[in-house]
Amino acid sequence: MVKNLIRIEEITKTYKIGKIQVKALRGVNLNIGEGEFVSVMGPSGSGKSTLMNLIGCLDIPTSGKYYLEDIDVSKLNDNQLAVIRNHKVGFVFQTFNLLPRLSTFQNVELPTVYFLGKIINKNKKIYDCIESVGLKGKEKNKPNELSGGERQRVAIARALINEPTIILADEPTGNLDSRTGEEIMAIFQQLNKEGKTIILVTHELDIAHHTERIIYLRDGLIIKEERINKPVDARDMLAKMPKIEDKINSEVSK
Amino acid sequence: MSSFNENIKIAFQSLFLNKLRSALTMLGIIIGVGAVVAVMSIGSGAQDSVIASIQGIGSNLIIVIPGSSQEDMGALNQFSTADKESLKLEDVEAIKKYSRYVQGVIPVILSAAPVTYFDKGINASVYASSEDAEQVYNFEIERGKFFSKSDVANSANVACVGPTVAEKLFGDEEPLGKTIKVMGKNFKIVGTIKSKGTNMFGQDQDNAIAVPITTAMTKLYGQKYLSMIIADTENEKDIDIATEEMTRILRKQHALKSGDKNDFSIQSQTEILEALSTVTNIFTITIGSIAAISLLVGGIGIMNIMLVSVTERTREIGIRKAIGAKNRDVLIQFLTESVVLSLSGGIMGIIFAAVIAFILNRYSPISSTISPFSILLAVSFSTFVGLFFGIYPAMRAAKLNPIEALRFE
Repeated sequence: MVKNLIRIEEITKTYKIGKIQVKALRGVNLNIGEGEFVSVMGPSGSGKSTLMNLIGCLDIPTSGKYYLEDIDVSKLNDNQLAVIRNHKVGFVFQTFNLLPRLSTFQNVELPTVYFLGKIINKNKKIYDCIESVGLKGKEKNKPNELSGGERQRVAIARALINEPTIILADEPTGNLDSRTGEEIMAIFQQLNKEGKTIILVTHELDIAHHTERIIYLRDGLIIKEERINKPVDARDMLAKMPKIEDKINSEVSK
Repeated sequence: MSSFNENIKIAFQSLFLNKLRSALTMLGIIIGVGAVVAVMSIGSGAQDSVIASIQGIGSNLIIVIPGSSQEDMGALNQFSTADKESLKLEDVEAIKKYSRYVQGVIPVILSAAPVTYFDKGINASVYASSEDAEQVYNFEIERGKFFSKSDVANSANVACVGPTVAEKLFGDEEPLGKTIKVMGKNFKIVGTIKSKGTNMFGQDQDNAIAVPITTAMTKLYGQKYLSMIIADTENEKDIDIATEEMTRILRKQHALKSGDKNDFSIQSQTEILEALSTVTNIFTITIGSIAAISLLVGGIGIMNIMLVSVTERTREIGIRKAIGAKNRDVLIQFLTESVVLSLSGGIMGIIFAAVIAFILNRYSPISSTISPFSILLAVSFSTFVGLFFGIYPAMRAAKLNPIEALRFE
């Protein structure tokens, strides 16, 4: 039995919008083990973003308990949450959320700026991290000089630099074409193979089938959990997909 | 935690991204700080030159002018011929005879007159006085000698010339022993006076000649009264008592009854200096408050632009917070930015003031010096403005909710 990295017990979250109280989560129980690759699915308004924000320590629950590596997150203040996010969580967003004025290197460096304590061989670590997502040679490029897929790779490198316990990916393929999306999924699967715990939010079933477990959320409750016995291998998919150049060539030959 | 250097770097990056906006925002601070530094330097420069010009004529001086005017600047109005005739040569003799505290006392008539040598001429200040003027008025003789007691007693036609007069009339020639004409009368040059430079009004103090008072009274002006009496004391603490003593002697000389107003004004050098610094102080305070208002307006401009910047960069703040920036990190980042903005304005203001000071020194008689104190004041003021007006926008940035900030379009 793998150790439970994340333990969520009867979590609720209520927002106040004006005078109306919105119950985004209504008692969620969830355990995620170390090294798992889990996806969270659900229509908009199902509470999956709220759950993501709570798991990512951007927010604290209204009631219930959330333990991340046995730390009771529900009791932490703003500063402690910031430290947890910096040390234990790596975010990957749908819209990449890179700082437009900073180069690839500087964007990946950003989390280390807020890191408490010294990082040994920081620059080498940043270069290695950029290389590991396949962006060697693009260190000095600004985000607007990169393609969507490359931007998302920068974001992944940024999420990895402080060696987080969990990686949270919110619709990471939502803004990408299917081939590029598949490439990004390949990176996640590789990271998972190397032992990273990854939680992925998506509304595309195809993408969710790349993970080991799908959690279905509706109206603030978990309605179904599904284990995928044979997740789709993104690399196989890529091999089957025609490359863009091939596609163009075939069009031309016709 | 983000480092100091990192914050400075971020601050400069974002200021350079909006160059025009940053420059316009800084303008208020540049003008404010520039005005403060420039005014302080001109103020202190003016004060320096006042002190220098007054001390140039000696120290521990007491100055008597005719008329009962007690206006502060009265005694300084030395270049107008006195229309009152209360001061006489006998008054000087009486002070010399009866005073115990006065060290030296001289009669003075000051006027401007044409001085010529063959075909060359110049309009010079004519200092008519006694032989004691060499010491009291601080005339230093370069070559030859000052006119003597017997010159004064005999109303001799002798003169000492200042460097400007010497140069204008004689060029490289030796002036000693030559005869010049003052208002048409012949005067033999017995000495040349060392340079004293310009005084606070930009007047060339070297464009002057000194002649015996008796000669001036009988042969030049035909008048029996003096434009002023100048006395000095051996040391500073005697000034007050010597002033009282002189007042008593002069009242007796002028046969004033008790209750009569003085028909002369008597002021010490210190009083004149004080009166002058009051004037320069008022000047400094006035411009200083204009500068303070300018700094205030500049500060509000900084606050305004920082608030805009925080709104524009809401998403950036959200990203930074998501990856682990604490509220304090964001606060420091934006505070650094406003201080860098304000301080850059301050430094440019100092440069601006230095340029003004340079131009004034070069092209006007006003000398101005930028003191380290005014630079320190400018730097600390602009830092303070940056902190004070930057704290509110920075706090707004720091308090942003990361989830909402990330959603901000």
